[in-house]
Amino acid sequence: MNGLQLTPLQRLQRRTYEILDGAVADSKSKACEIFIAGLVVANVLVIILESVHELHVAYGVYFHYFDLFSVVVFSVEYVLRVWSCGIKYDPVPGSAWQGRREYIFSPYGLVDFFSTVPFYLQLLFPGADLRVLRMFRLLRIFKLSRYNSAMDDMFEAIRAEKDSFSSAFFLLFISCLLFSSLIYIIEGHDQPEVFPSIPAAMHWFMLTIVSGWGGVDPVSIPGTVLVVVTQILAIALAAILTGVVATAYTAQVQRRESLYEMEVREVLADGVVTEEEQLKLKSLQARYGITDEQVEAIAEQVRAEKGTAT
Amino acid sequence: MDIHSTKKTLMEILDGSPAHKSSRYVELLITVVVLVNCSAVILDSVPEIHAQHKHFFHELEFWSVMFFTAEYILRVWSLGAKYAAGEGGAWKGRRQYMFSPFGLIDFFATMPHYLHIFFPTLDLRILRVLRLLRILKLSKYNTALQDLWHAVNSERRAFGSAAFLLLIATIVSASLMHFAEGHAQPEFFGSIPHSIYWSIVTITSGYGNVEPMTKAGEVIAILTGFLGVCMAAILTGIVASAFSNQMSRKKAAYQSQLRQVMADGVMSDAERESLRQLQVKYRLSDAQVQAAMDEAKSSKSN
Repeated sequence: MNGLQLTPLQRLQRRTYEILDGAVADSKSKACEIFIAGLVVANVLVIILESVHELHVAYGVYFHYFDLFSVVVFSVEYVLRVWSCGIKYDPVPGSAWQGRREYIFSPYGLVDFFSTVPFYLQLLFPGADLRVLRMFRLLRIFKLSRYNSAMDDMFEAIRAEKDSFSSAFFLLFISCLLFSSLIYIIEGHDQPEVFPSIPAAMHWFMLTIVSGWGGVDPVSIPGTVLVVVTQILAIALAAILTGVVATAYTAQVQRRESLYEMEVREVLADGVVTEEEQLKLKSLQARYGITDEQVEAIAEQVRAEKGTAT
Repeated sequence: MDIHSTKKTLMEILDGSPAHKSSRYVELLITVVVLVNCSAVILDSVPEIHAQHKHFFHELEFWSVMFFTAEYILRVWSLGAKYAAGEGGAWKGRRQYMFSPFGLIDFFATMPHYLHIFFPTLDLRILRVLRLLRILKLSKYNTALQDLWHAVNSERRAFGSAAFLLLIATIVSASLMHFAEGHAQPEFFGSIPHSIYWSIVTITSGYGNVEPMTKAGEVIAILTGFLGVCMAAILTGIVASAFSNQMSRKKAAYQSQLRQVMADGVMSDAERESLRQLQVKYRLSDAQVQAAMDEAKSSKSN
């Protein structure tokens, strides 16, 4: 089945899918993206302003109408997305719900759902706590992450280095247990109000690790040594975490460059670059966030290699 | 002969060898017991909880000590199978384990209970900390932690010079502060050791526990705080470069192995398996391996 045989309804479905998905960059999907993103930003601003009591009293009605408007827009968006995702695996018969299920249970789909539906729940059960509702509305900000790859990049980098991260956390865990029990033993007698138990000492330890200063002056000499060692450990742990993150991002950039280079090599293998291949490279470059200079350097290198080989 | 093979199997299971399925369950069991134990020690230190569940914690401690004792004895016994009689005999493997860091941890995590039985007057709180040492038993299963240690260890010269810098900075700022503030606040800066504590707090946290009172003291305090930022930057830089050096070392080792395998043009199943094991050991991602293979292939074709 190809594009010519689609019914008008199917054509409309495909067009909707293209616009909402934004995979094919054209002016309509761009406009749709900007509209939704703008609405999300306005929504978050309204939620923040609404929590100021004076503003809520003065403009509560407008805030309410705005929320009503956004819920309608987001509901239409959600319904359109679910409907249009049926076309994702189109040529395969009976696949309409596969695409839909995939979207509904993807992180984006869940965010779309949970940032909109609580509003209707409130209509059904007016007694619900408003603050909980407000929290759900704040979920709308995650709708923006669809249009920005920063979040995906971060998760990918963390996944690639998950062993290093887990060992850093393990180190934190072990040192938390040991240091807080040590300080409990050494200083617990002298300052029972600050270190009455190991959990209380753990609170002191975490404060020291995150801020460098746990707010307690030790009274004994072993206690002083322990506090100093804990503070140095705080710097070391921060350094380890920073180092792991830095390495993870560097490795990610390298990985992407080598993947891109592979693709370039494949494209150049037959000596001609078709329009389609060029488009593919362009979209890959956009997805990996590679700059034009890097692309030029990679292409230059591959060309030079080819030149020496022949 | 039969008892020997049992010993060997037990050694492999306790060692976490992937050849036995049960080794994973043993690892999981020990991890769970250790975690339950440590939570119990922590909760037991809260006076209210201690008053209420004293007997339960006592029972738990008794049974876990029995468990860890059995584990320790089995480890020592089974490690007799590590070396054949010609290579040093049964006690060589046992000695090696008993004096390894893990063996010492296993020993000291179990002993306090027996010590308490023989010397009932010992301070209970010290026993409690010795019991918390059991958490270190888990580090045996965290190979990434050993990686971290190797990465840090390979940059120990850089760390040493950073520590030296820290030492000098601390002493200089502490003595300057002593001269500047010693008269104004003798209770905090009356001696250089007292000022050293202030310097370290300021360098590590940027927040001094004592406000300076003189103009000179203020300038020194700000400079010391700034030094702290520099120290953090230096340490971070060292750790980051240690990690990336380690990663490139691993990649180079993998690549040289790959080149060796590809030298004869065919890749047998055994070679493929050994490469896969190396990838797991070095924790390289599939994409990295793919890139290394492509590179090896393209350099071969040139």
